This record gives sequence, structure tokens and C-alpha cells, in this order.
Amino acid sequence: MSRRSAAAMVRSARTDRMVATVMALIALTGGVTGLLVGTGVFGTAAAERPLVGPIVVGWVAAHRQGALGIAIVAGLLLVWLGLWLVLRSVRPERIPDLVLDPSPAAGLTVTAAALSDAVRTDAETVPGVARARVRLVGDAADPAMRITLWLQQGADLRAVWDELDAGVLGRVREALAAATVIPTAVRIKLDTASRQRVV
Amino acid sequence: MRVLLRLHVLWTGLIVATTGALLAVEACWALARPESGTLLVPWRVRPDRLTGISWSQPLVLVCAAALGTVGILLLVSAGLARRHDVPMTAPAEEITVVTSPHSLARLVGHLVRAQDGVKSASVTANARRVRVRASSTWQSDDQLRPVLLHTVNHLVRDLPLIRQPRVEVVVKAAKDRR
Repeated sequence: MSRRSAAAMVRSARTDRMVATVMALIALTGGVTGLLVGTGVFGTAAAERPLVGPIVVGWVAAHRQGALGIAIVAGLLLVWLGLWLVLRSVRPERIPDLVLDPSPAAGLTVTAAALSDAVRTDAETVPGVARARVRLVGDAADPAMRITLWLQQGADLRAVWDELDAGVLGRVREALAAATVIPTAVRIKLDTASRQRVV
Repeated sequence: MRVLLRLHVLWTGLIVATTGALLAVEACWALARPESGTLLVPWRVRPDRLTGISWSQPLVLVCAAALGTVGILLLVSAGLARRHDVPMTAPAEEITVVTSPHSLARLVGHLVRAQDGVKSASVTANARRVRVRASSTWQSDDQLRPVLLHTVNHLVRDLPLIRQPRVEVVVKAAKDRR
């Protein structure tokens, strides 16, 4: 198992987790502070103090234009941050093509669809495999392959495995004459389909 | 849970962008037309009224509680958004192979239900443990449990798992017939 192949298993949620954690900590800090101060944990005097201090209000009143300028900049920053979060969330996972020869004179690129279809068709001929799904993930500089296999009930997992590596993936390496191996993440769904009865 | 996490980030982004846009637009409007009211937001924030809102007011406490709840929800979502795959040994260096806990449980469940004397069975599985709950109409716990333990252990050992999960079997046996 390599880090690159392990990373190809699923679309990374690391940034989503980081964003959610930062937002959570900000919200929790604000909420807990508000509850602690408002319920008088730090004393009645603190609880009765105004939410926005008169010094702040006085400064804003005295520097109206400056405060509005700061509000505009803050608003634009929030818009940029919000749009970045939204676009990240709705953007589909990249599907890179495989660039075998990047030279402008004789460039050779294998499209993701062509490679995925070929590998999927090959994988589905392996005895014991009911269905396969293949996609390229990552980016053009660092592509990887993600394969999902649905195995029939009673399929010999080791045989499927050996055929997958030596057969299916071996043919991919041979066909692409790839100098580097494409990291591959394989998810196996066991025991999903009944064997077809042949009458 | 990962989808839920992405949805949380999406609605957070929408709220942040909308708040920012309203803030920027209203500030621009206030700068351009200081004497007129607000443009989009239906209320105007008067600085002198802000000083009259204290921390102990019910609205402030409710908002603080809501904020804290949202924070906890986001934290839980972030914490739970991990895949719980069962890693398998890979045939080569650049290959990673996993299966799902659900898959492993289904495989074990089929095997257990096919055993003599098993009326019903439910299986839960993860990378560390496989737990089988079986019931029998005519076999006792002493009779069925060792058989199921041996069978499931044999199956699990045959699978190319990186880590062999511990197998636990609980049998709800038939009532003694007199």
C-alpha cells in the first residue's frame, strides 16, 4: 500500500473537515462565551454590560466613514470566502486524462473515459466479478485509478485479486508502456450478487 | 456523513457570502446616501440602541445557545466524516485494497445463516471486530456457539485482511424443552 494509492480511495475531505472544524470552534467559542457571560458566571456586572461597548459605539460614530470603509472591506472578504467555500463544495471531482508524452511535437494523451472503459470491461471478465467501476482521479501530473469491484457470492477473492494485479492492471501497464506505475485504489464489495444459474 | 459535511460547508459558505454581500452593499449605501434608510436589509442598526442590549438579555442568550449548537453539530460532523474501511493486503506496492464493514458483515451473515440450527443472525463488523448475534430454535448456546466461532474465524482468516478482527458470537438459544 502506498500513500498515493491510499489517497486515491476517496475524494479527500480534509479541507472540508478543516473548514468545518474552524467554523465549529468559532461558533462554539462565541456561543459558550455568550452563555457564560449572559448567565452571570463571570458576575452580574459582566452580564449587565452592553453587548457592544460605548467606547466602540463612540469610535464608530466619530469615524463613520472609516468604519463604513472597514465594513465594506470585511464584507468583500466574507463574500470571497463564502464563494470559495460554495464553489469547493459543488465542484465535481477532477477526472484527469493520462498524458503519456507531453512533447508538443508528438504528444500522446489517453482520455480518462477511454482508459476507464477499457479497464472496466477487462475487470468484468475476471471470474467472480459481477460488476466493476473505474475512474481516474487526481490531476494530470499525479493521476491515480480508483476501481470498485462487486464480487459474486462465493467468489474466490484471492483468485480475483491475483487476476486483477497480474492480468487487468498488468495489461494496463503493458498497454501504456508506463514508466511509472499508476497508483490504484481498489474497493471490493464482497458477496453482492448471486451466481447466475445456467439452465 | 462526508456528504453531510460537504452540505454543512456549502450552507456555511452561502451564509458567509450572503452576510458579506449585505454588509458590503449596506455600507456602500450608507456611505453614498447617509441620510436615507437601508437599501436591502429591513432594519437599521442605530449605534445608540446597541449600547442598550446587554449580555443577559434573552435574545442574546438564545443566539449564543444557537451558535453553540451549530458549533457542536459542525464539530461532530467533522469528527464522524471518516471512512471506516477494512484494509486488505495489497498484491503490489502501488495498490491499496479495502472492503467495507457492511460487505464483511454481509459475507459473514450469509455464512452464519447457512449453518445448521441457525434460525436468524445479525452481524456487525469493522476492522477490529466481527460480532455475530444468532438465534436457534433447537440448539443450545453450548452447542452452536463453538461451531459458529470456528466457522467465522475460519472465514475471516481466509480473507486477505491486514488485521484479523476479533470474532465474537452470541447465541440466543432455544428454550429448554421438557
